[in-house]
Amino acid sequence: MTPRSPAAVTGIGCVCAAGRDLPSAIASMAAARRAPHPPIRFSTTHPKRYPVFGVPDEFIPPEILGRTDLLVTTRFALAATGQALADAGWDPGALRKARVGVCLGTTVGSALNIEDFYREYRKGGCPELETIERFLRSNPAAAVSRELGLDGPVQTVVNACSSGTDAIGIGASWLRAGTCDVVLAGGADELCRIIYNGFISLMITDDQPCRPFDRERRGLNLGEGAAVLVLERQGAAAARGARTRASVLGYGSACDAHHLTAPHPEGRGLRQAFAEALAAAGVAPREVAFINAHGTGTPDNDRVEGRVIRDLFPETPFVSTKGYTGHTLGAAGAIEAAFTVACLETGHLPPSAGFAVADPDIPGTPSATGLDIRGDVAISDSLAFGGNNAVLVLGRADR
Amino acid sequence: MSARIAIRGIGVVGGFGTGVEALRDALAGTESGAGGPGCPRANTDALAGFVDRKALRRMDAISRLAILGACLALQDAGIERPDERTGVVVSTGYGPSSTTLAFLDSFIDSGDPCSSPTLFSSSVHNAPAANLSTLLGVTGPNLSVSQFELSASTALLTATLWLEEGRVDRVLVGGVDEYGDVLGYCWKRFFGEPVETPCLPLDTRRQTARPGEGSAFLLLERESDGRRCGGVIQSVRMGRTGGEMPPIPADRLLILGADGHRRCAGAYERLVPRGSSVTSFGHLWGSFPAATAFDAAAAAVLLQTGLTPAPPPVSDHPESWRVPAAGEPLPDAGIGLLRATAGGEYALTLMSKCHSS
Repeated sequence: MTPRSPAAVTGIGCVCAAGRDLPSAIASMAAARRAPHPPIRFSTTHPKRYPVFGVPDEFIPPEILGRTDLLVTTRFALAATGQALADAGWDPGALRKARVGVCLGTTVGSALNIEDFYREYRKGGCPELETIERFLRSNPAAAVSRELGLDGPVQTVVNACSSGTDAIGIGASWLRAGTCDVVLAGGADELCRIIYNGFISLMITDDQPCRPFDRERRGLNLGEGAAVLVLERQGAAAARGARTRASVLGYGSACDAHHLTAPHPEGRGLRQAFAEALAAAGVAPREVAFINAHGTGTPDNDRVEGRVIRDLFPETPFVSTKGYTGHTLGAAGAIEAAFTVACLETGHLPPSAGFAVADPDIPGTPSATGLDIRGDVAISDSLAFGGNNAVLVLGRADR
Repeated sequence: MSARIAIRGIGVVGGFGTGVEALRDALAGTESGAGGPGCPRANTDALAGFVDRKALRRMDAISRLAILGACLALQDAGIERPDERTGVVVSTGYGPSSTTLAFLDSFIDSGDPCSSPTLFSSSVHNAPAANLSTLLGVTGPNLSVSQFELSASTALLTATLWLEEGRVDRVLVGGVDEYGDVLGYCWKRFFGEPVETPCLPLDTRRQTARPGEGSAFLLLERESDGRRCGGVIQSVRMGRTGGEMPPIPADRLLILGADGHRRCAGAYERLVPRGSSVTSFGHLWGSFPAATAFDAAAAAVLLQTGLTPAPPPVSDHPESWRVPAAGEPLPDAGIGLLRATAGGEYALTLMSKCHSS
């Protein structure tokens, strides 16, 4: 495969439990701070309180937080978009003169999260349609495009937990094809009772702070947040004097075609996605400085992913950042791509929070104490329900 | 987009019937389609001819719809077994809504600890695409998108780019949505009881829409090997109608996404050039978010036959539109699919005859 032309990352916005923006999240991870807590946004009758990683209200600008006509997911997306555009030096007015696509991943932002409405309906009542109208108004990609008055394609990717990674890969292809001048790509998701109950029912949720890749891991903790990357063609970014923070060098994805919720035991789709992303980037495995792994803390995911990573990248350090953010579902791939860029910039990997004891079933171990890294290429990968696997190869701007 | 993308296979299941022949009959006017006020339901019994009954035991309705549409498209393309160079792109407006609500039932009825894991895992929006890939063994890229009325258009955009970039050699791309009681309740609250008169999709002054459901898939490849195809996709363009919108071509047959919703009809009145030849199929498959996938399948059938379809029931439509009679030659330029939303978004897909047909 001929390597594809990279997309420049000129701005990044991020809001998650680890921080109100990317610099504060990176700082709190470097200090190994994490603060999972019982759910606040909703009540639950589970006898155990499974911890979650929620975004404090004060992390969201009040003018966005107050937009109760939109889902929380969409408000997160708008907050991250605002940060990303400011970081990229784009004035929203100027952006309206360009052709701008919006490609965002989500899970809750597209689901019928209408519990109160449905409870009343079930009782034979005539529930008002406010909940439905909010849902219809909140499609993340459409809402961001509409709120900013943008003109270009919109796509909300609903590939479960790989959605954010897929959205960035697809956004880069829109640029290459000339479909857009600029793409806002990323993901957003919120905590809600439906998802909380669902993951607990599958018995893949830990009642303690999650422990990705650790021998004693018992599952994931849910999280919420959003990240948005501003993508531009490299020449165009340079022409407007924008700083390029990183490049999207390659993207690959593949389906296990195996099971709705469990990864293929040999990581078939993940291997195929790694191979495609590396080929598209024109990068050899030995050139990869580190991997920001999916690393949810579930027994199956970490075993399969850890084995594949060690098999394909025998010497490459890897980390899971979900110990700081929880699993933010459709936002996870975007948040982790943002972290990957920041780590390439700082040359430092944070400790893999929650990891303490190596699992003999996984041939490699993540960094438990943080690590200085050398190299200018890194990978962020995601696995998802439905057997989806998606991989981004990201490069430093000066590569 | 620079490559021409060939449509090699068509698979449809909707209220009008199942398969390309049923679609041809519907377009020719020999099948009346969504006649009554209710939702014309799609029947997936034909799935038994493709998939082991045991494998379908726990499959929900929307996954069955998606799998049947995909199987029919593969059959129409003469492909027995897709491989890792096959991609899947599934679009849906509301996803597995019935399964999501059934999952809610599980914990509303019996408490949070009794939430059903089986229902939860099938309630995620990409479950139909995952079930499709697992049953058919498709290990290439797999994507699900949800963009309400623009769902199928944005799916076509990405599917054609995958082919253009050489990520895959073929893509199964489609749209699927299901009808259910809660959707019916919302429909009545938003639009009132469906009227007894037929759906009049080109009547911009009356609310005559009725809900629909179904699944429509296309098997796409690059148009480079000289194989026969059912038309090509030349471009997919999306944006905001107030922005730099490309001119709507007046030299093509325009298939409008107008489906009897008065609120959306005004957008078509504003956008369609005077004198344009227009038609619409809202009366055949009903109104649902992913219905543009059916419009694309219909366009492929029309490009094969080279003839215009039977006109929709018409009581009144803008004077500047021309609704061609059945059996007229299609314009040489081909067909444009136009979908516009009340929120000011549009998608325009241009299609033409296949060079090798």
